Amino acid sequence: MTGLRTPPDASPDPATPPDDDFAEPGAAAAAPARAPGVRLGVLGWLRWGWRQLTSMRTALILLFLLAAGSIPGSLLPQEGTNPAAVSQYYASHPALARILGGLSLFNVFGAPWFAAIYLLLLASLVGCVLPRTVRMVGSARQPPPRAPARLSRLPFAVSYTTTLEPEAALRAAAAVLSAKRFRLRSGAGWVSAEKGYLREAGNLLFHIALLGCLVSIGMGGLFGYKADRLLVTGTSFANTVTALDEFHPGRLVSPGDLQPFTVALDHFSASYVTSGPLLGQPAAFKAAVRYSAAPGGPTRPYTLTVNHPLVVDGVRVFLIGHGYAPVFRVTDGTGHVVFDGAVPFIPVETSGLTSEGAIKVPDADPQQLGFIGVFLPSAVDVGGQLESRFPAPLNPVVSLVSYAGNLNMNSGPSQSVYTLDTAGLHRLPIAPQPLTVGRSMRLPGGLGTLTYTGYQQWVSLAITYDPGQLPALVSGVAVLAGLLLSFFVRRRRVFVRARAAESGGTVVEVGGLTRTDAAGGFEDEFSGLAAEISARHAGSPGVDHDPPPHGE
Amino acid sequence: MPVNTGLAGVSNDFLLTAVVIYALAMLAFACDFAFGKKPVKAAAVRAPALVGAGAAGPDSGVAADGGAGAAGGEDARTALSAPGGGARTAGLRGAGRWVAIAVALTSAGLALHVTGVVLRGLSAHRLPWGDMYEFVTALTCVAVAFFLAAMIRYRAYYLGLFVMVAVVLVLGLAETVIYTPAGPLVPALQSYWLAIHVTAMTLATGVFFVAAVTGIAYLFVDRHARRVAAGLPTGSDGILRRLPGPAALDRLAYRTVVFGFPIWTFGVMAGAIWADKAWGSYWSWDPTETWAFITWVVYACFLHARATAGWRGRRAALIQLTGFGCLLFNVLVVSLVIPGLHSYAGLT
Repeated sequence: MTGLRTPPDASPDPATPPDDDFAEPGAAAAAPARAPGVRLGVLGWLRWGWRQLTSMRTALILLFLLAAGSIPGSLLPQEGTNPAAVSQYYASHPALARILGGLSLFNVFGAPWFAAIYLLLLASLVGCVLPRTVRMVGSARQPPPRAPARLSRLPFAVSYTTTLEPEAALRAAAAVLSAKRFRLRSGAGWVSAEKGYLREAGNLLFHIALLGCLVSIGMGGLFGYKADRLLVTGTSFANTVTALDEFHPGRLVSPGDLQPFTVALDHFSASYVTSGPLLGQPAAFKAAVRYSAAPGGPTRPYTLTVNHPLVVDGVRVFLIGHGYAPVFRVTDGTGHVVFDGAVPFIPVETSGLTSEGAIKVPDADPQQLGFIGVFLPSAVDVGGQLESRFPAPLNPVVSLVSYAGNLNMNSGPSQSVYTLDTAGLHRLPIAPQPLTVGRSMRLPGGLGTLTYTGYQQWVSLAITYDPGQLPALVSGVAVLAGLLLSFFVRRRRVFVRARAAESGGTVVEVGGLTRTDAAGGFEDEFSGLAAEISARHAGSPGVDHDPPPHGE
Repeated sequence: MPVNTGLAGVSNDFLLTAVVIYALAMLAFACDFAFGKKPVKAAAVRAPALVGAGAAGPDSGVAADGGAGAAGGEDARTALSAPGGGARTAGLRGAGRWVAIAVALTSAGLALHVTGVVLRGLSAHRLPWGDMYEFVTALTCVAVAFFLAAMIRYRAYYLGLFVMVAVVLVLGLAETVIYTPAGPLVPALQSYWLAIHVTAMTLATGVFFVAAVTGIAYLFVDRHARRVAAGLPTGSDGILRRLPGPAALDRLAYRTVVFGFPIWTFGVMAGAIWADKAWGSYWSWDPTETWAFITWVVYACFLHARATAGWRGRRAALIQLTGFGCLLFNVLVVSLVIPGLHSYAGLT
């Protein structure tokens, strides 16, 4: 019982192995124990490697590596969250970007070296948790240890005399401790009590639940998917791969696995702060949609807002963005209406929602037509320059640069619908002029007419399916529960000794010990227990006794 | 509902007054170090007697350690647990006149601080931690409240100067540099998870704030104790001699982190649940999320390091301060400079 005399915060003597039950988790860092000159076999090296891996020091270093490895993931643009910024980085620093890309620093959280760190940590965790679970099951059946000979040398101790016989005094003490649900063991002249086994259980629960979190995240990565879709008011889409703008399936997802629901957008409204210093800050977004779980099924209405996704067939649809889609009608040189529809423009700033987009008219004769445009929801003339000063459509103006020629839409790589490839086009000699709703622009050279007939609003929807979500939540709750148990339950032992004094009466000693009192408070508990035990001993308190220690 | 600008103005007045009163409290704590009662040497003599009597363990509080290390000053705790402890009285009065003044000022400042934060919420009809300025005013409020609680529970008056210096600095910066007028929440923040997630993060940050201050004090005291042990010259050590021993500071820092860590864990999880509801993914490695994770990992390192031979003491304290550094980096740099999903600071 040498370990027991160590005060709670003193370093353990390296020469004496700590008492298993009372050691802090992993306190004993494993060292390759071998006599000098003895060669290790393969098995010996494996064993040594496993011990190194599962030692607390290695776990600490791996934890640090995990933290340090995450840093570039937050400072550099990441493929997963912002692919556009990554390509921009490649464009502006090509040499540096190639080196960083080679180290997977643009995809840190999917990088092999990051996976290596957390898989090693996982192995270290398993190697630490498994033996401890076995040990805990063993120790749960063990009775408390024998009472040490000299209780006065424990961190907490009181003694006093009583008129009770030693056996009766011990019985009374045992009754008090038993009522407090201590586990008891008694011998000649002593009682040992122990409590707080849940602490180690909580610690294990915490670590096992962390493993559960990792497994749940893995499940989501294998069987889940994420997708994006931009939807203009008055249109609808079905959840199929071809109808989605972006589709990021998990490794084991095939296009046939997608839940076949449809969503139609009837109306979108946004409201903004209309006065004061926060002018233009969004106040509320609302999208009125209709959806059906299967094509041809019954449709139901739903009001989609930012923190309230639509849940259909286990898939969730989120409102994550909005913008304007000006509506244009284009008549070509031959007098035919070759284009009539809404064109989504992408916001380039948030305070006035200035948006940019492209109109492509491949069916125009004699030449294909293209336009690059800027949409200003609330256009204001600022020193001869138009600017949008508010995100709502108070004065929606569009300004276009016109092109004619070959749009190259049937050859070459697929184009973005939001930008115009001007390689095969020539700019028409017409100055961009701000158009208000209903105004037209006649193109030079008899190429046709464009009319700005109005505008629609669009929303961008994120569609996610993650079967690992519920397991992750359950693991998270277990992590927290384990953490609280291991921090706030203390493993503690209380010992009572009673012997007949030479001068008559019985000397009672009460000693207490805890090693894992992270939150503090054993002082209070011990003095309370000691007081209760001495109160049970009739005739107490005796003559020469020390007062119980004051708690904090 | 429109913002009540009159009420928002009153809130500002309250907060500015609180800063001034905190500054006065800081001065009073400094005066205690300068002019307060000198350390009582007798404490060093009494300590062995206490242990010998078996009445108080090494864990019985700040005083026993302070006394044993001959570094502690007068402390009500020693007087309380030592029978017939003599002339010194318990409680605030035992701590000296300057401490009493400082504690009174701190409490008054806290009352104004809380009122200011509440009025800010009332003026905008919502919880008053929706932007960076409000977050900082709320977390300093938690730090001061937690410090007062630690002072009552552990008699940790000596931390006052350090906590108040930090609070005055941070709150002063909040009032001048990152002040944002009161307004409604952007739609992304209109969720009851704001109350849960941001409240937990604010609480945990305030608690870690106190732990970091204790950790810094520990590093100085530990260095001083080493120099004393090695017989090296210690220079002017008036303040250090009045602080409790390194073991007591280390334990206080540890208990503070143990209190804050589950709150932080809960806050990160609540954030993940909210992210799941708002953005469709419970974890998307957004920069702010990443740094919250890094902070969590570093504090987890601290908790493990403290249980590992060879990493205790100085190294563990440095890890703890690294953790707080990560937290500060997240609050001050990541959310203001690096674009991400958490860009709600209200600063452009």
